[in-house]
Amino acid sequence: MSDELNKKEEELRIGVYVCHCGSNIAGVIPPKEVVNFAAELPGVVRATDTLYACADSGQRLIKEDIKKYNLNRVVVSACSVRMHEPTFRGAVAEAGMNPFLMEMANIREQCTWAHGHDREGALAKAKDLTASAVAKVSFLQPLDMINVPVSKKAMVVGGGVAGISAALDLAEQNIPVVLVEKEPTIGGVMAQLNKTFPTMDCSI
Amino acid sequence: MVDAARQPLIEVKAYTEVEKVEGFVGNFKVTLREKAKYVRADRCNGCGACAKVCPIEVPNYFEMNLAPRKAAYIPMSQSVPLIYNIDMDACIHCYKCVEACGPLEAIDFSMQDKIVEEEIGAIVVATGFSHFDPTPMEEYGYNRYPNVITAMEMERLNNSAGPTAGSLIRPSDGKKPQKLAFINCVGSRDKRFVESCSNFCCMYSIKNAVLVKQMYPNIDVTIYYMDIRTPSKGYEEFYNRARAMGIHFIQGRPAMITEDSETHNLFIHTEDIALGKVVEHEYDMVMLNQAAVPQPDQNHMSSVLNVAQSPGGWFMEYHPKLRPMDSPTDGIFFAGACQGPKDIPASVAQGSAAAARASRVLHSKTWQIEPTIANVWPDRCVSAQGRACGICERSCPYGAIDYTQGKAAEVITAKCHGCGACVAECPHDAITQLHYTDAQILSQIRTLLADKPEKKILALRCHWCSYGGADLAGTSHFEYTSNERGIKVMCSARMDADFIYEAYRLGAGAVLYSGCHQQDCHYITGQVIGAKRAKRLETIFERMNMTPGRFRVEWISAAEGDKYARVLNEMQATLDAMPEADLLAEIERLRPEMAKRLSRLPNIPGVQRALDHTQVVVNTILSREGAQ
Repeated sequence: MSDELNKKEEELRIGVYVCHCGSNIAGVIPPKEVVNFAAELPGVVRATDTLYACADSGQRLIKEDIKKYNLNRVVVSACSVRMHEPTFRGAVAEAGMNPFLMEMANIREQCTWAHGHDREGALAKAKDLTASAVAKVSFLQPLDMINVPVSKKAMVVGGGVAGISAALDLAEQNIPVVLVEKEPTIGGVMAQLNKTFPTMDCSI
Repeated sequence: MVDAARQPLIEVKAYTEVEKVEGFVGNFKVTLREKAKYVRADRCNGCGACAKVCPIEVPNYFEMNLAPRKAAYIPMSQSVPLIYNIDMDACIHCYKCVEACGPLEAIDFSMQDKIVEEEIGAIVVATGFSHFDPTPMEEYGYNRYPNVITAMEMERLNNSAGPTAGSLIRPSDGKKPQKLAFINCVGSRDKRFVESCSNFCCMYSIKNAVLVKQMYPNIDVTIYYMDIRTPSKGYEEFYNRARAMGIHFIQGRPAMITEDSETHNLFIHTEDIALGKVVEHEYDMVMLNQAAVPQPDQNHMSSVLNVAQSPGGWFMEYHPKLRPMDSPTDGIFFAGACQGPKDIPASVAQGSAAAARASRVLHSKTWQIEPTIANVWPDRCVSAQGRACGICERSCPYGAIDYTQGKAAEVITAKCHGCGACVAECPHDAITQLHYTDAQILSQIRTLLADKPEKKILALRCHWCSYGGADLAGTSHFEYTSNERGIKVMCSARMDADFIYEAYRLGAGAVLYSGCHQQDCHYITGQVIGAKRAKRLETIFERMNMTPGRFRVEWISAAEGDKYARVLNEMQATLDAMPEADLLAEIERLRPEMAKRLSRLPNIPGVQRALDHTQVVVNTILSREGAQ
């Protein structure tokens, strides 16, 4: 698929999806205005708004559009990459697109939520952030994830009640565990307690 | 505890500290320091003969220093592992223990700390919490009045395994108390100390009150509280049970405790909210329920493990709701109170949850990591032409660059973490970073500054911290100027000086250069490289007589949403304070200076093509903005 996209690289076919996020975005700015703006940017062949881009329906729309409009780049103007970048990378990958050809514009955390009382300013910023993502996406290259080997051994740092619980659960799944405790005994604060609430059983 | 010791797949390394964590998900290399116990684990059978003959007594931390232990000791009788320790700070080298140990020969004074290395696939951090020391709260007289004790001291005093074998006595005279009070929220929900609620103290003081009442039904027990918080399963019922047992609850935060210096009895002065008046009650013992605070070495562990801290010092999770068990570093997970105060059921649940998150990695043969690494264009590398350079090698925090004069530098894929330091540092623009190329970032800058650049504040943020800080500003609805235009790179090490020159050449009103605090850096020393460059830029712009505040360098963590908003608003204020004509004149004055520094930009592979294309984007924006 990557090679195929490389060949097509000359002709950009970008899809832009502007999320309402219910009223989180649409309560401050009209997403349609961002859509109309994005539709005129070079390389954009499809621009539309969606009530919840992350919902099944929103993801389905993107996946169907990739096929229908033969998209080779996707911009999702919605929330933070820390929230939904994996979601949309997954969605475009399911439609056969390299996940690194998708870019998000953060128009929620870093726009409508931060400028709720400045609608005009928020709208101008949402347009700029979307345009910036369109610009970046135009030069993205398909990339493949790097596979690294995994050492099948866990380390738990701290031998209190949480650490012991984690160590036992891992070991019972046949995973070797090194349980590191800085004090001479494990048990942590729990071992110092008399009975514990609400059942009043012994702590050790 | 015993289950953990019995489980053959768990190797318990007690009295051991984590010194260093290197590597990445699936492939951590951990350096541990096994501290010398002076007792050989393979020979000690836990008989305790050494402790019996040891003549030295020191306070036992495990008993909250209420009881002594020997210099040859275990903290408690059920210690796991059951191996004695010799406390070298207290030991007088009388060697009586060696004699008592006899033919076992378990005691070995020549032992030294041992450094061991482990290859680890995933790490669960469960380093727990500590207790607030109420000594600074002078109004409660802890450490001044003998009968004011902490809740943890109470735990040991009414514990059958504790120093008094479970018989409750008051420290001043060893007598059984008749009137007891517990004070909740000591140090917590208190802006002077810990602003947050410590989560478990309400239940904890009710538990101690119930235990006392069960053992001694005639003792009068009162709990002073601000609010009673009992939201979990079975907790409200437990509270009701305590009330039914005759435990008194007085709503009010005690203002002061005074003492009768002869009887050492105590007087609590408080407002009783139910009565609406100030009252004074006499007790012969008072327990302070201290706030939960991060471990004293939490900052140190934060840099060893390379995980950031939230406000208050707790370890910071990837996402408070969706990924509460994950650290922002792939392959490192949190369990229990190190991430924030938690009671036992929550800590056990989190331990299991963290194990499940970690086992996703550990059950996989391979794990996928992002390919956003550095790449060298061999034909641009001056080393290939025989010149000495090596700047890339020196800037790399991971030793991931193979540099030999006479050959083009090469990036070792498995070692590169993708901070972008070498890319921004290379003076010949011979290195690029996949997914964060100069062409991509410059095209973003041009787009963001297409229209009225003098009004805009371009904000360069690192992925892990200041981008997160900006997110948190939004999530918390801390409003700031909408003239901010953000660009994300992985680390401040990637913030090429060219990006900033280009922003000013285009006429940006101001530029923010922002990344993590040094100790939070996800790329060991990436921030250090970014900070050095920022310092150089500050000097350059100062020499150019740029108005102070138009270039700003700030280190903002993912927990500092308030700071992100404040910095942006301050930058806006700087711009607002400048008459527009002055700002435009300064931009024009500096434009040729900036352009001079960018003369080689078009030679970077892909950049000219990208800039040509971006010009079309810019024209589109301008025609539309103009039409509006």
